[in-house]
Amino acid sequence: MSGAFTVTAPVMGTMASITVLGAGRDGDVGAAVSACVQRLRDDERVFSTYRDDSDISRLRDEGLELGAIDPRVAEVAERCRDLRERSGGRFDAHWRGWFDPTGYVKGWSTDAAAQAFDELLENGGIEAVGVNVGGDMRLRTAATSPHVWRVGVAHPTHEGELLATVEVVDGAVATSGTAERGAHLIDPRTGVHLAGPVSATVIAGDLTTADAWATVAAIAGIDDLEWLPVAPVASGIVWEHGRTRRFAGGIEVASFHDTVAG
Amino acid sequence: MKKIVYALMATVTGLVLLFSYRTSMAPESTSALAEASSSGVATTPRTTTTAPSPSASASSGSTTSGSTSSGTSSGAQTSSSGLADGTYTGQAANTRYGAVQVQITVSQGVITDVQVPRYPSESGRDQQINSRALPVLVKETVQAQGAQIDMVSGATYTSTGYRTSLQSALDQARA
Repeated sequence: MSGAFTVTAPVMGTMASITVLGAGRDGDVGAAVSACVQRLRDDERVFSTYRDDSDISRLRDEGLELGAIDPRVAEVAERCRDLRERSGGRFDAHWRGWFDPTGYVKGWSTDAAAQAFDELLENGGIEAVGVNVGGDMRLRTAATSPHVWRVGVAHPTHEGELLATVEVVDGAVATSGTAERGAHLIDPRTGVHLAGPVSATVIAGDLTTADAWATVAAIAGIDDLEWLPVAPVASGIVWEHGRTRRFAGGIEVASFHDTVAG
Repeated sequence: MKKIVYALMATVTGLVLLFSYRTSMAPESTSALAEASSSGVATTPRTTTTAPSPSASASSGSTTSGSTSSGTSSGAQTSSSGLADGTYTGQAANTRYGAVQVQITVSQGVITDVQVPRYPSESGRDQQINSRALPVLVKETVQAQGAQIDMVSGATYTSTGYRTSLQSALDQARA
């Protein structure tokens, strides 16, 4: 590997960490990193519920039509409707009575931002890139590279410790839960804050999917995996009060040993 | 060699039997999966063979810079476990959702990957994502504790919370 570097940038109330492998930070690579950050910030400008002048806030406050604001809002709105249906209401961007896709936008935006590296991955300009926004990440590796991303899943209650590790070549890992920000997860079916602690990690092909279904899994909790057969995800973990359940390929994996005693 | 393969088959069978299935799946999704598996997509002839094949995925960790564990464990592994390097596919086990099959990858005598092939559709993309995607709990493995980690996934931190996070420590090491 001819180099690796990480750039961090505050965005969407959290921190983005962009790690590039196989290149220095000059020229086209640096430009792609800037474009990636720029896309995240621009999506924040459109979707932030903390800014009165965002398209989302204007949609809510000024009663505008979707056609009158940034077209990204209509795209996300459509995807959120679809997710609400498929998740049996475990995800619902309208639970407050107005459209708030906060739980969806970060993953979706990260996927879009990671496209800034399309060309560099294609032409061998870089070996791999990981875009981690607040603990949810899109990982990409050039087809010619043997690189495998090793991702640690933070333990929900033991700070500085890992609950699990997972290896991904090209895909996304997202974790939703009550661990870091307190009870910020609300069951849209009841309007009740999750007491927690609960944590759900989902691995999927893209972060839009992984992030959305990690939220669904955390809301559902450890006793509800009924959403699993319809979820387009690869695998994951649900953790609650020290109990752990894992799934892969649409089924629960009850037990697993990764080494054989010699 | 034959002995090793038999031992491995036993392991693979054991892993298949360890899977359990929720009994309260939503009826509509159950029938959707049953329908898909009955079309024969998930049961291909190769599911009954157990044969080692050279696999690109067996060469893990070659690029994850500066592994600290290599000094202590390399060399002794192959002889202690008796597993030959390669990728092995177990026999398909029939479940209510169709055939479930396990594939394991052995590298340096240690099972480095257990894959549950996704069904009913097995597109190339699914395969690639799933190739290593079953999370390994830290308590199950000694290696994970000294593991070289590229990134950390966790419930969203604030920009203030980031400063004390594991991800922040990793970023500083690579800044």
